[in-house]
Amino acid sequence: MIVADPKPFGQVKGYLENFERILIVGCGACTTVCLAGGEAEVRLLASGMRIAFGRDGQSKTILEDCVQRQCDVEFVLPVLSRVDNEKIDAVVTIACGVGVNFLADRLGKTPVFPGLNTTFYGAGMEPGLWAEMCAGCGECMTALTGGICPVARCSKHLLNGPCGGSEKGKCEVDPANIDCVWQLIYDRLKRLGRLDDLQNIIAPKDWRTAADGGVRRTIREHLYKLR
Amino acid sequence: MDKESPQISSGDVLSTCSAACPVHTDTREYVQRLSRGDYEGALDVLLEVNPFPSVCGRICHHPCESECRRRAIDEAVSLRMLKRFVVENTKEYRIARRKKPADRKAGTVAVIGSGPSGLTAALDLTLRGYRVRVYEKDSKLGGMLAHAIPRYRLPVEALAEDIEDILASGIEVKTNCRVGTDISFDELRSENEAILIAAGLSESHSLSIPGAESNGVFPGITFLWDIANAMPPEMGDRVLVVGGGNVAIDIARAAKRLGPSKVYLACLETREEMPAWKWETEEAEQEGIEVLNSWGPKAILTENNKVSGIDLKRCTSVFDDQHRFNPRYDESVTTRVEVDNVILAVGQKADLEFLTKTSVAIERGRLLCDRASMSTSERGVFACGEVMTGPGSAIQAIATGHEAARVIAHFLETGEKLKLPQRTITTIGELPAATAARAKRVDRVEVSLADPAERIRDFSPIEPGYSEAEALAESRRCLACASGAQLKFPEHCAGCLTCVRVCPFGVAQVRGTAVMPAQQCQTCGLCAAECPAAAIELSRFDTNRMKDTLRDIVKRQGTSRIARPLVVSYCCLNETTSRKFLWEQTDEEIRQSGIVRVMVPCVGRLSALDLITPFELGADKVAVIACAEKDCFYSGSEELLSRRVTRAKKFLDQIGVGQDNVQLFRTDGNAEECWPLIWEELK
Repeated sequence: MIVADPKPFGQVKGYLENFERILIVGCGACTTVCLAGGEAEVRLLASGMRIAFGRDGQSKTILEDCVQRQCDVEFVLPVLSRVDNEKIDAVVTIACGVGVNFLADRLGKTPVFPGLNTTFYGAGMEPGLWAEMCAGCGECMTALTGGICPVARCSKHLLNGPCGGSEKGKCEVDPANIDCVWQLIYDRLKRLGRLDDLQNIIAPKDWRTAADGGVRRTIREHLYKLR
Repeated sequence: MDKESPQISSGDVLSTCSAACPVHTDTREYVQRLSRGDYEGALDVLLEVNPFPSVCGRICHHPCESECRRRAIDEAVSLRMLKRFVVENTKEYRIARRKKPADRKAGTVAVIGSGPSGLTAALDLTLRGYRVRVYEKDSKLGGMLAHAIPRYRLPVEALAEDIEDILASGIEVKTNCRVGTDISFDELRSENEAILIAAGLSESHSLSIPGAESNGVFPGITFLWDIANAMPPEMGDRVLVVGGGNVAIDIARAAKRLGPSKVYLACLETREEMPAWKWETEEAEQEGIEVLNSWGPKAILTENNKVSGIDLKRCTSVFDDQHRFNPRYDESVTTRVEVDNVILAVGQKADLEFLTKTSVAIERGRLLCDRASMSTSERGVFACGEVMTGPGSAIQAIATGHEAARVIAHFLETGEKLKLPQRTITTIGELPAATAARAKRVDRVEVSLADPAERIRDFSPIEPGYSEAEALAESRRCLACASGAQLKFPEHCAGCLTCVRVCPFGVAQVRGTAVMPAQQCQTCGLCAAECPAAAIELSRFDTNRMKDTLRDIVKRQGTSRIARPLVVSYCCLNETTSRKFLWEQTDEEIRQSGIVRVMVPCVGRLSALDLITPFELGADKVAVIACAEKDCFYSGSEELLSRRVTRAKKFLDQIGVGQDNVQLFRTDGNAEECWPLIWEELK
């Protein structure tokens, strides 16, 4: 799941000062689950905007919408129509950055602003807490590390064991909240009876899958360019 | 009217209380209305299916309570007492709401007997537009209610309230008119399209034992009848009542009030088998009545043609293998009780003499009738109440009255018999033990009966009604079963598990989308308040409607005309002890006070948006007044609310309103005294 946090209210409000008819669009997928961008947050942000602009003596029209997923054309089409039909001046999306881009690509002259800061691919650890689990590097190497990713979960992205900042299983960057991933990998491999795997040096990672060659795309031949 | 009862349709899933009630009173709805201070609305719900709410508020055997799902947590909600409170506090409204039928239909019906079944049928038919005349052999209406239920249980005024209300519909009554003597049955037949025999079981069975006809032996019903009519029989100092049912208990307790020093009650049954309600037997014993279990009458002894005692023999079993009444005795074990009077309460029978020279079939002293079509052997002659069902309760008799009215109306419209469909009632089932274990125990509000020594002095009512505070407190014990959270917008649900994580009762689940099984949901509303997709709503508490009300109030007033600061005060409904703050506010009251009250059945269900919206609508401050500490019905609700308020404060800071403008308070003591102090502080 993609995790995101609300931008400071004032920052989002600042984007909107020069617009009159504003649509706030939520996403029913990841940002609903991480309690940042679902229907309830749309309503709260919209109410906040109406109150804040009202106190500034500005009577803007703040409209609300929430779609099932902002990263698929079929789901965002109704939003595109609304923007046209209801003469929307600006859109704020509280989907992840994907939603911002996806709408921006399709909204012609209408500006789109992010309401969230997209942070990471993560998992819900307990109610109200999410943690990063994957970096989307394009070449998953967790088979070598007991299923635990040093790329995403090591503060320094080290691939061959911990640095000197590992103490009592914690990472020096934030010992209270961050486990040393290499401690986790060690413990995991020990439980799996595979500690010997640590004798193998992992070769320098080929980062081309993560960033090289421009924007990454994925094609599924069996459905791509269907007539 | 195809519905089986005005309040249920076939296919409805009923709460267990409503299912258990013979007339399927929408118990949950009237209790919820009461809890919101809408006593009049509660009365409407009651009267929709029961024309005798005053009577039932006093004497109903309350099967609703016996099936109340709260029993799984602690004790049943005291529903009969709540019903009594409603009728006792809506007397003027009850008179004002009376209606007469708009249209008259062709067709007249004669009803023989004015007990609960006869009058119920008469009312239903009158309201449908038929002309109904009720024939009552006595001077008073009400049948057994008027004559055989002692006044310490059912005061005359309570019965009178119901009967006056029923008669206001335009029913014609002929009292002191015994069918068969004052008017013949055939005459009735020639004058009416349909006849309803609702004659009840007005005579006592006798016993075929030596001495049963002696001076000083009274038939039970006659005994009660005489007392009700202020003609108590001459009695000695020691009395024995034979019988173990509710009538026997009534007789024994009534006898005790006439002054004898010793009253016994002897019955065939063991204590556990006694058909009398357990609580009534206990109350009888408190009043000094000695219950002799497992004894059958052998002979009544006389001296100088007066009762001097009774010989009893040991009853070894009352029912046979097929559960039929078939008592067996050990004749070798006997006992003798010296008494001056014996009163027989060993069953009742109908007085059907008026039918003897008619073609209406009677078999072994009982009216021959078909239960499914409420009909007798004669076309156009119907039956209801105890004459058809045998001994039963008032509310069962009322239910058969409704059924008879349906059948008769059908007959008058079509000329055909109507077979009432077999009812299959689906209920939401018992409260699962795992859910019950997590629910908060709340003591039932009990009233103390008068002291037994006081009680037996006369026929004054022994049970005080609830005070308003007591009724409101007790009404809030109702779990409002099956009116909890629902996934209203499944297409919005992301399966995020928030509902699962905040549910204090472990009820919410995600199976594809969120599921809150109605059988378990305790209606706390926390899932709805926290749902990030705003997909969950409560059927009992609609936040949108509340916001509309708020919007409307502020819009109607125009904020400039209202005293400032304008405070929206969300208040925990459960803390009120009177209607003072439950009445809808007038515009003037809001204008002058600057306080807009929004009563919420637990403020824990307010979402963050609910805390912000008032500012958008023109409010200056928001007060959230929760219950007193540890008072909340829902564990975890207090913490979640407090965190939501903290979140709202931060948000208000961000949007420039200032965090101090939303504040969380606790009720200290009673709401009526505490809340005005809070509002003053805010001002």
